[in-house]
Amino acid sequence: MNWILLTPELTLLLAAALFLVLACLKPNPRRDYQLAVTMAAFSVAAATACATMSGDLFNHVYRVDLFSQVFKALLAIGFFLVIFLCDDFQGVAPSHHGEAYFLLAVCTLSMMMLASAVHLLAIVLALELSSYSLYILVFMRRERRWGMITGLRYFLVGASASAIMLFGLAMIYGVTGAVHIDMLMQRLPAMMGHPMVVTGLLLTLAGFFFKLAVFPFHFWAPEAYQGAPNQVAAFIAAVSKVAAVAILLRMISMAQGNSDLLARGLIAMAVISMTVGNLAAIAQRDFKRLMAFSSVAHAGYLLLAMLCMTPAGYAAAMFYGAAVLIMKYTCFMVMTRVADDGRNLQIDELAGLHRRSPLLALALMMALFSLAGIPPTIGFAGKLMIFVAAMQKGYLVLVLIAMANVVVSLYYYLLVLKAAYLDEPAQVLPSIDLQMPARLVAVAMIALIVGLGFYPTILLDLVQAAVLRLP
Amino acid sequence: MAYQLANFPFLTALLLCCVAGLLAILAIPARHVRAIKIVGAVFSGLTLVISIYLFIAYDQQAGGYQFVERVAWIPALGIAYFNGVDGFALPMLLLTGIVFFTAVLTCWEMELRVKEFFALVFLLVTGVFGLFMSLDLFFIFVWFDVSLFPMYLLIAIWGSTRKEYGAMKLTLYLLAGSALILPAIVYLVVQSGAMTFDLLALMEGDRFTPAQQRIAFFLLYIGFGILAGVFPFHTWSPVGHVAAPTAVSMIHAGVLMKIGAFGILRVGMFLCPEGWQYWAPLMAVLATCGIVYGTFVGLSQTDLKYVIGYSSVAHMGIVGLGLSTMTVDGINGAVFQMFAHGIMTALFFSSVGYIYDRTHTKAIAELGGLSRILPRATSFFIIAALTGIGVPCLASFWGELVVFMSCVRVYPLAGGLAIGALAVSALFMLRVVQKTCYGPPLEKFADLQDITAALAVPRVILVSVIVLFGLFPGLLFDMIHTATIQLIGLR
Repeated sequence: MNWILLTPELTLLLAAALFLVLACLKPNPRRDYQLAVTMAAFSVAAATACATMSGDLFNHVYRVDLFSQVFKALLAIGFFLVIFLCDDFQGVAPSHHGEAYFLLAVCTLSMMMLASAVHLLAIVLALELSSYSLYILVFMRRERRWGMITGLRYFLVGASASAIMLFGLAMIYGVTGAVHIDMLMQRLPAMMGHPMVVTGLLLTLAGFFFKLAVFPFHFWAPEAYQGAPNQVAAFIAAVSKVAAVAILLRMISMAQGNSDLLARGLIAMAVISMTVGNLAAIAQRDFKRLMAFSSVAHAGYLLLAMLCMTPAGYAAAMFYGAAVLIMKYTCFMVMTRVADDGRNLQIDELAGLHRRSPLLALALMMALFSLAGIPPTIGFAGKLMIFVAAMQKGYLVLVLIAMANVVVSLYYYLLVLKAAYLDEPAQVLPSIDLQMPARLVAVAMIALIVGLGFYPTILLDLVQAAVLRLP
Repeated sequence: MAYQLANFPFLTALLLCCVAGLLAILAIPARHVRAIKIVGAVFSGLTLVISIYLFIAYDQQAGGYQFVERVAWIPALGIAYFNGVDGFALPMLLLTGIVFFTAVLTCWEMELRVKEFFALVFLLVTGVFGLFMSLDLFFIFVWFDVSLFPMYLLIAIWGSTRKEYGAMKLTLYLLAGSALILPAIVYLVVQSGAMTFDLLALMEGDRFTPAQQRIAFFLLYIGFGILAGVFPFHTWSPVGHVAAPTAVSMIHAGVLMKIGAFGILRVGMFLCPEGWQYWAPLMAVLATCGIVYGTFVGLSQTDLKYVIGYSSVAHMGIVGLGLSTMTVDGINGAVFQMFAHGIMTALFFSSVGYIYDRTHTKAIAELGGLSRILPRATSFFIIAALTGIGVPCLASFWGELVVFMSCVRVYPLAGGLAIGALAVSALFMLRVVQKTCYGPPLEKFADLQDITAALAVPRVILVSVIVLFGLFPGLLFDMIHTATIQLIGLR
């Protein structure tokens, strides 16, 4: 067995172990933060260094290939970025910082496993591990009022989704008698007309739809985002979506494109997700709730890419997953910096941001335009790929619906932008001073959003090569 | 289609002028207002010089696409950075150069958040230049949106009269248009089976069935048409123009609305000639509605800027009418009218902006006798009004004349209605001129300062352009004609 293949996972495991030790020591936020950032940086280095490796581990239960490694690199980068935001970790009591880092590391680790797992049981195991760490993370909010209720609600919805998923898996196993993805791939396509297989597959996907916040499994999102500490909300909104994309691609590609029934089910969910997410977002006043509903809408766009069931669609979904990571993270970065005492930010409170911090205002503007899919941003490049893939399957009407949704979404993004650029705060607020590293990250995010929007070729070639590893 | 690559990338240089100007403005600290304005003037002047050079250096004998540049951009999707200009694009580049330069000079007195304003204007104009020169559908769409999204902030921050409402309405309308354009573009690219965004490659051979062309042309016509102020999707235009600050109104009514018409021409008509044929009657009907409606609603306006806004709707209707005739003359006239209307409306907004800045009112009823107090400022306004009416020897005359001549032949009823409406519009323009400029001078405006020589420069430039092309329309017609015969030859 080749342990080198597991370097990214092992790095994170080591980080998690270290954080656990930290949690037992006397709390010292400064030291904890520095160690966490260092370890996160190591994990990024490990994940990128192993990007081109491939191999099979643990009796073909665990597959390392370009597909999984690209996702692991994205996850590691997301993990690093979120940890980086924790320099002023006000949402969680100082005595719990170690635990929070530990749980974030475990969650990232399990999501990496999710990207590599090719055995149904391993997938369930990884998924549960990542979900449970998130349940606790949401609970950790310092203000009890938020933590308890939302954590519980998040947990109950999540647990139900897991139960549904297990039931679906049982049905699939019952019909096909297989638990390994390779084996399922051989047997499923011939059985796609079988109602039990399609039901089983849809129920199984429910567990992952919960992660991605696809309608009708999105009810937890606004509460969980609002109730969680800001950094944790950023993690859920940006990083966990990447993992959800990875596993959904793995599962949907099993059907190998010849399933009308499955496609129809997914089309309905995609359309409803976009529409519900965008319409509900219009009414939001709380920044995190708005982001939650925009996540639901973006889940719809992602699903639109996946339900094409073509390599072009998978590549589009992967690209858009990376785009979501960057855009959502940038929004949450701005929010966390503005609400530096860890409170929930109302959109009105962004007033005067263009004067308080021109850089953050610019970053917010680019991220919002990118979410709305306006060129030249990474969000536009992703949407273009999705639409090309959908059009190749002949879904002209779906594309028109998606574009109509984009226009609706623009309305509420513009309202946020208006708050940041036009409105003046009731009393004069001090300017927000960013440290040099924070400035660099903000500039890097703007550069990524615009750079990959204008010249997406680098990322595009990578994801196109990666999805070839899917059958 | 055959084309030769350029020896020197003039078109990219033009774009880089805008980008360099943008970066230079961003680099200057916000408190150096004067330096920012000078940098803005220098770089916008450079773009004007380059666009004039391109206009002169274009070889009309050879025709076709010249100054072509091509670099593979996203090979996986068949996207290339592909620029080239023909007889349609060059007048538009020249128009953009002139309006951009004069708009920058017009806002010389501005004080509020100057740095951000100039940065956004440069960004907007980069998109406009890019769109006019691009021959790749991906870039056409990208430039289209780049030129739109600064508008929200430009209007909402620096505007007046219900600015937030106007800005939001304008942005949502225009982006709803782009929501139709993108699916249409992707549809065409995918249906062609070639997986390329290259406009010229997509034009070769009969790639699209008539049914596909009808779908795509309809989406493109409505999508770009919203920006071109096509009735009944024009309602953003008067509201937006009234809300926008002077320089932005100039660029927006002068250049951005032309993008819409140009998009219909460049993408819709070039790629879907049969779709064009199919929908031409609809275009004619909507254009005529726009002309008649714009004129009559304009009649009842009490706000000076609304009057211009509605006259824009009517004038852009003439462009649509010309395009719908599918004749050489009609298209020549339409493109000429695009150019002439751009210059005229820029002059209009520029002179009204000056009057508004001094009198602080745009209500026609509150103005009067201004020609005694502000003789120079009002003369610019009157020239613009006369151009709008279509007085001979001024540029608009030729565009309108040629469009109407071809229209009466193809759609006699529409042509008759449009000409009738134009006669009415002459009436209402003269009424506005009479009410604001003549009559006894008002006490409260007695000590207003007339336009100084420096501030008159941009207006004088615009007037000279109007007169130049009014006296020598051939300069422009010959250029446009090279591209029109090629387009009609396609069919």
